[in-house]
Amino acid sequence: MTPAGEPGRGILARELELQPAEPMAAPMSELEFQRLYDATAGPILGYLVAVSGRRDVADDLLQETYCRLLARPRKASGLDADATRRYLFRIATNLVRDRWRSGETQSFAEPVEAGQAVDLDASIDIRAMLQHLKTRERQLLWLAYVEGMDHAEIAAATGLTRLSVRMLLYRARNKAKLLLHRGETTHAS
Amino acid sequence: MHPEQNPLHSETDRLESLRPDPLRRALRSYAASIAATHAAPPASIVWLRAERRSRRLAIERAERPLRIMQVLGLVCAVLAAAWMLRQTGGLHPLPTMGTTMVILAIAMTILVIAGCWTMMHASRRLSS
Repeated sequence: MTPAGEPGRGILARELELQPAEPMAAPMSELEFQRLYDATAGPILGYLVAVSGRRDVADDLLQETYCRLLARPRKASGLDADATRRYLFRIATNLVRDRWRSGETQSFAEPVEAGQAVDLDASIDIRAMLQHLKTRERQLLWLAYVEGMDHAEIAAATGLTRLSVRMLLYRARNKAKLLLHRGETTHAS
Repeated sequence: MHPEQNPLHSETDRLESLRPDPLRRALRSYAASIAATHAAPPASIVWLRAERRSRRLAIERAERPLRIMQVLGLVCAVLAAAWMLRQTGGLHPLPTMGTTMVILAIAMTILVIAGCWTMMHASRRLSS
């Protein structure tokens, strides 16, 4: 008997709703997820802010990253802490690429809060430098210099080959140093 | 020896990475400023979002065969109605089917089409 006001509801769908919500098909409990999240959310968020250039986009992508991790229990099961961390960066990298391909504009439009920045001038220099780099270049530089990943780990996180990572990172590093030097020179003068 | 296989190649990279580097310092300082000014949302919010998505996907998977049958029923009803209309159009008069039976058949077909359409519309509205 279809409840009043719910015409056309499938029988199976109604049964799913009446049953208590099943726990997610995830390899970890909520407590384990909490620990993983506390350990990795900060670095992932920083990576997304730096690469996407927008904090609102980074917040959304951060949540989406962990949702995808939980939605694929088979892929995440059996991974140690480092491998899970690399997997999270891989998911985040793919999400940024998908967002960029969908036409989401990338800009460093949000100014650094003057009262909270660790070093306002340095932040402005870095933001100006990152603004002139491509998304891939930002990804490689951040993973190498901030996260301390080696070429193999960066290749696993970005889906590139090690040789490509080496070449692209070399070019990105030179470009970034040149941009940073120009920024410092401008400030000094 | 291939550059990738040269142990010194990777050792050079490691040594280079240990040297003080203004770019590394600048990027890490920026990372610290992001961490200081922008906190990640609580884990509980992300967990709930993932739970809701999992539940929604499970419902969609369960409803998929029902939607397929609804579409098939609608298609069959439309084809049956078209066939019956063609039969009563005078081109091929039915020798044995009376007018009453034809009217009843057409009415049933319309009811089936209307029922299928209502169920599909309601399912789409509830799942959206």
